[in-house]
Amino acid sequence: MTTTTPVISVDGLTKRYGDRVVVDGVTVDVPRGVVTGFIGPNGAGKTTTMAMVLGLVRPTAGQGEVLGSPINRPGRYLHRVGALIEGPGLWPGLTGAENLAVLARLGGHDVRRIPELLALAGLAGRGGDRYGEYSLGMKQRLGIAAALLGDPELLVLDEPTNGLDPAGMSEVRDLIARTRAEHRTVLVSSHLLSELEQICDWLLIIDGGRLMYAGPADGFARHARDELVLAPADPAQLLALTDVVAAGGLEPGRDGDLLVVPVDGHDPRGLAAALNHAAARDGIVLAELHVRRPTLEDRYLRMLEGDRS
Amino acid sequence: MTALVRSYRAELAKLARRRVLALTALVSLLVAVGGAAVVLYAAEPAAEAERGRGALPTLEELAAAGGGTEVFRVVLAFAGTFLFVVVVGAVAAEFSRGTVRTMLLRQPHRTALLAGKLGALLTFAAGTLAATEVLTWVAARVLAPGADVATGAWTGADALVAGLGDFGAVMLWVTGYAVLGTTVGVLLRSVPVALAVGIAWAGPVEHILQDSWDPASRFFPGLLLEAFAAGGTTDVSAGRALATVAVYVVAAAAVATTVFSRRDVTS
Repeated sequence: MTTTTPVISVDGLTKRYGDRVVVDGVTVDVPRGVVTGFIGPNGAGKTTTMAMVLGLVRPTAGQGEVLGSPINRPGRYLHRVGALIEGPGLWPGLTGAENLAVLARLGGHDVRRIPELLALAGLAGRGGDRYGEYSLGMKQRLGIAAALLGDPELLVLDEPTNGLDPAGMSEVRDLIARTRAEHRTVLVSSHLLSELEQICDWLLIIDGGRLMYAGPADGFARHARDELVLAPADPAQLLALTDVVAAGGLEPGRDGDLLVVPVDGHDPRGLAAALNHAAARDGIVLAELHVRRPTLEDRYLRMLEGDRS
Repeated sequence: MTALVRSYRAELAKLARRRVLALTALVSLLVAVGGAAVVLYAAEPAAEAERGRGALPTLEELAAAGGGTEVFRVVLAFAGTFLFVVVVGAVAAEFSRGTVRTMLLRQPHRTALLAGKLGALLTFAAGTLAATEVLTWVAARVLAPGADVATGAWTGADALVAGLGDFGAVMLWVTGYAVLGTTVGVLLRSVPVALAVGIAWAGPVEHILQDSWDPASRFFPGLLLEAFAAGGTTDVSAGRALATVAVYVVAAAAVATTVFSRRDVTS
């Protein structure tokens, strides 16, 4: 993994539609040679940011570069970029292979790669079928195959798993993982971090048009605080257990029938022992007591909740 | 230039598919045979026909050197609204289906993309019209004896020149409709809205306005194209109709190019 030269670099990128600010001064670098997850809830500004980077939408303010060329000159870099924005957008009356052939001619790419790309997308036997007859997952995979037509250095995929069932999501994730193995840089967006956490090296998190986090995925995970999970054997004692924990100066939260206590700098084992002792002293038998690390998705959701509160 | 050629080739690849060619050939055959039959059997001797210029040709006109291909020209003149609507729908569909977005990701030179697309459409139209003209001539030649139309002058150099003239006139007329249709499609982007506006304008709106405002024939693009296709009318000559339409076409092309080049592509 090389992280020295950014493939995408934007500074103060902003898009307004009237009074509505869709992207608000985003400044970020996307490093070369990594899979970057661009995460944010629906309407966070992911697609608009990507569309500005790809020359489809003009920024209201700010500037940027893709592969060393300014984003207001997409003709200089788009031949090195493959992209799928807001769904595949292909011609339903044409077959999968015909769709790829049209796009290959349009971009000046080698049409002889089409069988190879259809095979990569798992559509080797379906290239002669009309695109309009494809399932959603097949359409998405054909869209990714289309994005790979020019053997691009940078692959930009907007919500490629949107609307897919778990099997379809898995197929698309596998396809992205295969493209990473070919040493491309991939920028892939989703509103669910859990969809991408297995394949992302780098994360950009956006909400309300503002960038909330940009950095390595494992760095994002390191920021996650450990927490202690407790459950009384008798669920009726949950309130009493809450009082026991609060008496120790801690701030427990509820997660169903469980109490969740942020460790916040304490020694987790020592804290667990102290709470166990305090609960026993008040006649509460614990059925569950363990330390857990929040998932990336938990951390992401809490980040968004914290931003809005 | 490379971008233009690539756009042209890509669009042509969409059109020159077996299914499209087969369907086009079938429609051309039906138009040729059906149109020739209607025009020939509706023709009357000049002495009995009380029609102005631009109406169906007389038996004498059909018997002239250009009679065989005039059938083609007259038949196509009735397809103006249809052609306009097809182009409007085809262009607007590229926006509503998101295929414009996909194309721009492969070919970001927007003016070249639009010009290449239009160029390919016109190339395809030229091929289709040439084939239709030949088919119409053949159908007319077969049907002519039954309609008492003499065909002795339909072969030879004069007939060829007249045929080329008819083809050129129809191509100019088609180009006008294609550019205007492309502009409406680019401006409105939505298939239902573009079709509603296109059908309403090219169909009833101009003709209703023409009924209440005589100069409409000299100014409205659809009426001018009809007048040109008919070889001129009592209100406007073919030459003036063509010149006025050319102004509309240049203005429409400028509007379409400017809007397409500058507007955000968000769907």
